Amino acid sequence: MTTQSPEPFTVPDHVPRELILPVQVAEGDDFLAAPYAYMARLHETCPPVFYRLSPQMGGTWTLIKHADAMFMLRHPERFSTRNATPFPRDPANPFKFLPLESDPPEHRKYRNIVDPVFSPQGVARLEGRIAQRANDLIDRFIGRGGCEFGAEFGRPLPVSIFLELMGLPQEMIDTFVKWAVDLLHSNDRAVMAQTMKHITDYLKEAIAQKQRTPDDGVVSRIAHAAPGGVPLTAQEIFGFVMFLFIAGLDTVFATLNNVWLWLARNPERRQEILSRPDDLNAIVEELLRVHAVTFSGRTVEQDVEIRGVKMKKGDRINAILPACNFDPEVFPDPTRVDFDRPRKPILAFAQGVHSCMGAHLARLEVKVSLREWLRRIPQFALAQGARIVYRPGGVVGPETLSLVW
Amino acid sequence: MPKVTYVEHNGDRRVVEVPVGENVMHGALYNGVEGISGECGGGMSCATCHCYIDEAWTARVGGPASQLEREMLESAYAKVKPSSRLSCQIEMTEALDGLVVHLPERQSA
Repeated sequence: MTTQSPEPFTVPDHVPRELILPVQVAEGDDFLAAPYAYMARLHETCPPVFYRLSPQMGGTWTLIKHADAMFMLRHPERFSTRNATPFPRDPANPFKFLPLESDPPEHRKYRNIVDPVFSPQGVARLEGRIAQRANDLIDRFIGRGGCEFGAEFGRPLPVSIFLELMGLPQEMIDTFVKWAVDLLHSNDRAVMAQTMKHITDYLKEAIAQKQRTPDDGVVSRIAHAAPGGVPLTAQEIFGFVMFLFIAGLDTVFATLNNVWLWLARNPERRQEILSRPDDLNAIVEELLRVHAVTFSGRTVEQDVEIRGVKMKKGDRINAILPACNFDPEVFPDPTRVDFDRPRKPILAFAQGVHSCMGAHLARLEVKVSLREWLRRIPQFALAQGARIVYRPGGVVGPETLSLVW
Repeated sequence: MPKVTYVEHNGDRRVVEVPVGENVMHGALYNGVEGISGECGGGMSCATCHCYIDEAWTARVGGPASQLEREMLESAYAKVKPSSRLSCQIEMTEALDGLVVHLPERQSA
C-alpha cells in the first residue's frame, strides 16, 4: 500500500488516529493495478470499519462488511443521500437528482412513477430489442476478427437501450456516448461543465417536446406524472430525467467491460456458461457479485456507532460495495466465481430504498449480451500486448478492452 | 378488482384493490402499506417484501414458487415460518380475491 500524508486534511477529533488507514479505493497504484483483488484483500488487511483520506472526498468512514453496508443503506434517516453525487450543478438551476436525493416517504412518489417500467416484468419486454441491438453491433465487427469492446459494444449497447426506453431518437446515440465520456471521464472541470450544459439544453428541449406530444417513453411518463393529483415541477422533472442519464450509462458499460475481461481470461468458464443456458440468471448474478462497479456514499445524519466505532452527525461515510460482495462471512471463499452459490442479496446495486432502479434492466442487458455474444463469438482472447488500465474514478472498470478471435 | 388485506404487525388492517396480474408487493407499495419495503422492485434480490400468508389461504396460495424464492427467504430479517412468502412472487388472480397476508414487525435490521 502506498502511504499518504494526512496533513492536507482536517480529521475530526472523534476519529481514533489508529483507524486512519492508508487505503486508497478508486485511486492509488495498488488499487488501480488490480482493483477487485485489492478490494477482496481488504477483509484480511483492514479492520471492518476504518477511516480513510480521499483526495476526492476528504476524510470518510469506510465500510467493507456486507452487514454494515446493509445497515447504512437501509437507514436513510440516519445516513442521508444529500451531496451523494459529485457532479457540478449550476447554482442558478439548483435541481436535485431524483429519486436519489429525496428521502422517504417523498421518495416513494418518484419511484412509483417509473418502477413499473423498470420492474422485472417491465424490462422483460425489451429483451428482443436488446438482443437485436447486440447482434447489430456484433455484425459490424465479427468479420474483422477483433474489436475494441468498450467503444464498439459496451458503450453503444446500453446507450441505445436507454434512448429506446426514454423515448429519445436513436440518431442521438453517438452524441450521448460522447456526452457520457466527457462528463464522467474527462477529469476536466471545464469540459464537464460544458458537457453538463449541452445535456441540460438537450434534455430541457426533449421534456418540452414530450409535454406537447406525449408518448409511452420514460421522459414523457415523468413529464406527465401527477402523484396524488399534483404534477411534478419543472425542476423535479429535469432532475429526474438528468439523474437517469447519469446513473445508467457508465455503470452498465463498466460492468460489461469487467465481465468480458473475465471471460477473455477464463476460456473454460465460457464453456461452462455455454453449457448451462438454463442457469443464465444465476450466472449473471454471480458475475455481478464479483464485478460490482460502484460505491455508496452518505452523510451521517445522527450520531451512530458501528462495531464500537463512534461516528458523528456530518461525517462522510462510504460503503465499498465491491468489497462487501467479497465478505467471507456471507460469501465463503469469496473470490471464487461459483454459479451454484445459494442466493444472497448482493450489493452490486446497493440495497434499501435507494437501491438501483435500473438493476433489472442492467441484469437483462448483461444476460442478453452474454447469450448473444457467446453464441456468435464463443472463442476470444485479449489482443496481444493489450494493456488493461484502470483510471481513478467512481466507477470501476478497465478503460479499454481489445479483443481478438 | 380482487382485494388483499394487509395486516400490519400492530394489528392494523388495510384492504387494497390489486389488479389481476399485479403482485402483492406492488399492491402494498403503491398504496402506502408500510410493512413491506420491496426494495429491489420484485427481482428477488433483497428479501424485504416478506409476508406470512393467513392460514385460511396457505393452501390456495401455496409455498415458495421457486428454489430462488426459497433461498432468498433465508435472507429475510424476520423469522421465517412455513407460511412465509416473498410477496413480489404472489401474482393476483380472481381466485385470490380476499387474500389476507400478515406482515412482520420489520423487513430489515
